[in-house]
Amino acid sequence: MSLPQDEIDHYKRNLPRAFAAPLSLRLRRGTLALGFAALVAWCLYAFGFSPERIWNGLGRLGRVLGFMFPPHIWTDPEDIADIAKGLGETLAMAFLGTLLGALVAFPLSFLGAKNINRFTPLRFGVRRGFDVIRALETLIVALVFIRAFGLGPLAGVLAIAVGEVGVLAKLFAEAIENTAEKPQEGVVAAGGSRPQAIRIGLMPQIWPVLLSITLYNFESNVRTGTILGIVGAGGIGFLLSDRIGAYRWGEAWSIIFLIIILVYVIDWLSARIRARFIGKWEGVR
Amino acid sequence: MLLEVRNVSRVFGAKTAVDRMSFTLDKPGFLGIIGRSGAGKSTFLRLVNRLTGASGGEIRFRGKNVLALRGAEMRAWQSQCAMIFQQFNLVPRMDVASNVLHGLLNRRSTLATMFSLWSDADIHRALEILDRLGIAEQAAKRAEALSGGQQQRVAIARALMQDPAIILADEPIASLDPMNAQIVMDSLRRIHDEDGRTVIANLHTLDTARRYCDRVIGMRDGRIVFDGRPDQLSAAVAREIYGANEHFSEAATSTSIDVLEPGDAELLPA
Ligand SMILES: Nc1ncnc2c1ncn2[C@@H]1O[C@H](COP(=O)(O)OP(=O)(O)OP(=O)(O)O)[C@@H](O)[C@H]1O
Ligand SMILES: [Mg+2]
Repeated sequence: MSLPQDEIDHYKRNLPRAFAAPLSLRLRRGTLALGFAALVAWCLYAFGFSPERIWNGLGRLGRVLGFMFPPHIWTDPEDIADIAKGLGETLAMAFLGTLLGALVAFPLSFLGAKNINRFTPLRFGVRRGFDVIRALETLIVALVFIRAFGLGPLAGVLAIAVGEVGVLAKLFAEAIENTAEKPQEGVVAAGGSRPQAIRIGLMPQIWPVLLSITLYNFESNVRTGTILGIVGAGGIGFLLSDRIGAYRWGEAWSIIFLIIILVYVIDWLSARIRARFIGKWEGVR
Repeated sequence: MLLEVRNVSRVFGAKTAVDRMSFTLDKPGFLGIIGRSGAGKSTFLRLVNRLTGASGGEIRFRGKNVLALRGAEMRAWQSQCAMIFQQFNLVPRMDVASNVLHGLLNRRSTLATMFSLWSDADIHRALEILDRLGIAEQAAKRAEALSGGQQQRVAIARALMQDPAIILADEPIASLDPMNAQIVMDSLRRIHDEDGRTVIANLHTLDTARRYCDRVIGMRDGRIVFDGRPDQLSAAVAREIYGANEHFSEAATSTSIDVLEPGDAELLPA
């Protein structure tokens, strides 16, 4: 290791950033860190955070949790049917909403993919459309749809579907853009048309990815569906808000417990299906 | 006249990748194109297959200017001049038989091809071609599960499925080990000898060109600087093609493929 000093100086001169941050950069970093700390401090002050308040709140939380015990176990067949229907409704809402969203997102995603839609203004328009849809919080859409379509799962299904169009179309478009070009080139060089190149050279690459993304979003929509129920879009969430409203804490606790189990089971199942499909492929017939 | 290339050029921005190339081929042959990286070899093959457009000139096949073809006529030409790529360009997630059947995309109804509805006769023919290349047992495997040499033979099978007059091979063995390289080159040579199909192959080693070709074209900076029989490829000519810089050496343009003789592939385990 014997680099002469003048060469070291030479490198230092030519690559200043590699050796030390210049003063201006260090100043900027310091200001940013200070500003961030000030923001956090202001938030804590503005919301009236104090250890005392948190301590008192924890005490009350303990009492509320106490009300929930022992958890309620339904014995009346009618109650059991009610709860089961609620759980089923939430699942169905998530399923239908995701499916509907995926069906609409699929064709749109091709319009948003650079390697398919080379007409830039249209592609940008479509992409901005996805962004706008994603900016609409599903909960807010659900509140609007409940006014339009009435209380119940229909509003929830539609709200989930709308949100999924934005999310899935964007993710699908990215999956399409991430495909290898060579298989398509092979199809074209053999005399294939562009639709054939897309169907044969591109689709086999994307469809397991699309399926995996859709299943993953279905999982998360089971959780969303629960929340939507609380604001009146049917399903188990509706029952939960009803029990909390009536101070039937034991039952509320049992419902929360069932929701946790449901979400867990769905996540587990969907993960297994995803692993399986990613490994599958298209055959001759 | 089988193939006439007249003053063909291709310009990318300020770069002239192919510069007024001209040559003719009066009967089916096994033609090698050599030249260093960036000489324009790939661009030329892509021009012939119409994967890229020309900036000027004509390429006549049996008298018809293929550079002027559009739409369905152009695709029909593409199916007549099969292309083989360095990276095979198969559909990796699909099985070998399907990949071979893709050679028929231009000859069957779009709807049928979209849903992979192939007739028994087509499937039978695909299997025959795979058998000819010695990889029929792999027919049901996923293309990506095969070795590079096997994948290249699938690509050749797809090309044969097109029943092409010309096979264009863009560095078909550049990503293969010497043994597989030999199997692939032997297959191409056999296809030329037995079927009378013209093969035009970009090759990255002088040795391979000398061994397999009837005629070699040397390119430099988009222009043809040599066109002759392989035995005319002297060291001086090689320097002219590859450039006379100090880094040039004959060794840099050859691989260990010359350890084996053509035809030995049959003796090797598949
Ligand atoms: N699509 C493209 N856009 C811009 N320039 C290109 C394009 N394709 C090729 N070129 C340029 O044209 C020249 C010839 O490229 P080409 O790929 O034909 O060379 P080659 O002889 O096949 O080289 P290699 O041995 O590296 O494959 C190169 O300078 C390359 O950078
Ligand atoms: Mg090349």
